[in-house]
Amino acid sequence: MFGRKRKARRAIGYRSIPMTLADAMPGREYRILKINGGHKLNSRLYAMGLMPDEKFMVYTSSRGGPMIIVVKGSRFALGRYMTGKIIIEEV
Amino acid sequence: MKKSMIIALAGNPNSGKTTIFNELTGMRQHVGNYPGVTVEKRSGELDHKDYHIEIIDLPGIYSLTAFSEEEIVSREFILESSPDVVINIIDSSNLERNLYLTVQLLELGVPMVLDFNMADVAKKRGMKVDKKLLSELLGMPIVETIGPRGDGIDELLDAAIGVVQRKDKKRIEISYGDEIENELEKIISALSRDFDMEKGTGSRWFAVKLLEQDSEVEKRLRGIDEKKFQNLKEAVTNSINHINNIMRDSTEVLIADSRYGFIKGALHEAHEEADTDNTDITEKIDSILTNRFLGIPIFALILWLMFQFVFTIGKYPMDWIGIGFEKLSILLNSVISHQLLRSLVVDGIIGGVGGVIVFTPNIALLFFSIALLEDSGYMARAAFVMDRVMHRVGLHGKSFIPLIIGFGCTVPAYMGSRILENKKDRLITMHINTFCSCGARLPVYILLAGTFFPAIAGNIIFSIYLIGIIFAIIMAKVLRATRFKGEMEPFVMELPSYRIPTMKGILIHTWERVWMYVKKAGTIILAISILMWIMFTFPIISESEYSEDYILQMDELQRSHEAGDITEESFLSEISIIEGKMEAEKLEFAVAGRAGKFIEPVFRPLGFDWKMVVASISGMAAKEVIVSSFGTLFSMGEADETSEGLQEKIKANYHPLVGYNFMLFTLLYFPCLASMAVFRKEAGTKEMLFQMAYTIALAWAVAFIVYQIGRLFI
Repeated sequence: MFGRKRKARRAIGYRSIPMTLADAMPGREYRILKINGGHKLNSRLYAMGLMPDEKFMVYTSSRGGPMIIVVKGSRFALGRYMTGKIIIEEV
Repeated sequence: MKKSMIIALAGNPNSGKTTIFNELTGMRQHVGNYPGVTVEKRSGELDHKDYHIEIIDLPGIYSLTAFSEEEIVSREFILESSPDVVINIIDSSNLERNLYLTVQLLELGVPMVLDFNMADVAKKRGMKVDKKLLSELLGMPIVETIGPRGDGIDELLDAAIGVVQRKDKKRIEISYGDEIENELEKIISALSRDFDMEKGTGSRWFAVKLLEQDSEVEKRLRGIDEKKFQNLKEAVTNSINHINNIMRDSTEVLIADSRYGFIKGALHEAHEEADTDNTDITEKIDSILTNRFLGIPIFALILWLMFQFVFTIGKYPMDWIGIGFEKLSILLNSVISHQLLRSLVVDGIIGGVGGVIVFTPNIALLFFSIALLEDSGYMARAAFVMDRVMHRVGLHGKSFIPLIIGFGCTVPAYMGSRILENKKDRLITMHINTFCSCGARLPVYILLAGTFFPAIAGNIIFSIYLIGIIFAIIMAKVLRATRFKGEMEPFVMELPSYRIPTMKGILIHTWERVWMYVKKAGTIILAISILMWIMFTFPIISESEYSEDYILQMDELQRSHEAGDITEESFLSEISIIEGKMEAEKLEFAVAGRAGKFIEPVFRPLGFDWKMVVASISGMAAKEVIVSSFGTLFSMGEADETSEGLQEKIKANYHPLVGYNFMLFTLLYFPCLASMAVFRKEAGTKEMLFQMAYTIALAWAVAFIVYQIGRLFI
């Protein structure tokens, strides 16, 4: 379901929906724009180095599943709840 | 007389903190729990120069927010117990991220030493640090260590003592920029006015935490004065809104930004990052182990190897221990002349405690394997690989590990649930673990499936295991939707670099677990064993209360044997039949038998008679005991799951439907009292009682439905 929606979006070239980490492709570099978590979760992610403005590489992604990214020299696995909450843009 | 001091170790997960702790304290460690939480408290002692030092290993954390129990515990410890020095252990190859915690510790105002651990890795990557300059910028000494080799440990302790002895305490303060500083100023004034706080490091920390909307700090202030807190909270909210409006960004981001800014500034001056290619070995290994297609098969293979290791190799020492207890029983049988005392020691204590001790090799090998997987860095990958599958069930990727262990023995499975940091995830995993049918239940299935469905016994047993897994999935969903509601813990986990684990670390870890297990066998399980023995022994039937005069029958047999009327062989078999009948009547007369008969009506709708009830009660001690209980109940004397006499008796007494139903019931109710003792230790009394109550209720309900529907077809 998730995947189909994304495909459709890409086909129309609809860009005003913000891109989330869930849409990121492996091997590319992105920048974090915003994290839509509660303040508790946000503080935690900031402490792990996941901050707005931070650039990162997407390492592994499986559609709808968890993914691995590399931020500040550390690799993190993020579940799909998380990936939908992190707004990004391609660098 | 040595002076005493307390050192706390703090650091990110995967910073090599545990290795440093092991190097410092060796085997002189103590593991406990922080009050009220399931976070482990590790401490140890050592002597260095004039000091007797107590070392507390705080849990691995990324920051001092109130995000997890670990963070709260660490913070409370530093605030309440005020250690003399905090040694902050840092992964030298990842300074920026690791120093984020340092900055927060700095703000707490504790005397600190920085330990740049894994200095060799950083050097290999070509990183250069001006330690002297950085140490000045941060206001604390820096020592380089290489954990697994023990390099720099003495220097670390020297530096810690140096910090304690130094009088002038220099404080470095992080500036958050004018806007935030103005608001901090206001909050600090309010704190000193309404909560009698001295202006200084302490109140500044509270003020920053209030701006971060830290729930624990709010709770603490509310506890001091509810009304004044409300006023303060209002002022803080105004401050936050003010900052957000002017800076057009959230306060948390701004605060975190300032901290990283401070770190970057310091590193910019004192640190040189080499431009080497960072494609290291970890990346190469990960491209295989976390591969979309290979990840799960590799994980399955590793689990299979682990099982082989634990149960195949473990079988030998298990057999030795089993033989040892057997020999001990025989010895004690001949040494103790008092009949009742002998029965207590041999049947009750050795039978019960021995049955638990026998599993020690398994436990040791299992925790050895887990420590190996954890310390090498693979565990995090396993969780990643399994997360997608487990997520569908409402569980965490890591839950898979204890669940798999549960097919062997539920006791280590409950202990293994500790790898789940989140309490809800951990409790759900523990509550469904019983449905992963443990090894002790297999003899029961073999007996009953072999009795009623000899041609398809394998399929029948497989169906029981499958039903167990289905119930695990259903109950995980039900529990997630009811008792452990709320959004799942977001899955964010660092994947540490792969490294070769140190033998010392693994052995210490394994030893701790094994010792905990053995201690349990010596205390709570001993008590349960004695209790069960009492239930199955008292009140003792007197000769006149037997339904037949067995003594007379035995005398007659003896006489005809002596007269040569019957052969030796038939004499012995006749005698053992009579002894079997006596055993059965003894049991029927004892509390357990009476209880079985008393509650039989409750189990009638399941098709069970009182013997099945008694067998199930005895199964609470350990499920394999059900088989030997059936033996006693059907006057078969010593019997195991393959004895034909017992199978015939059971077949004559029950319909196959009841037999299958009994297997289901055995599958579903909680594993055993020993496992419940561990459950209580891990999750508390309330959760343990819930586990017992709901599994019995579920077992009853399922068996009821199966029997009542099945009855329509027979």
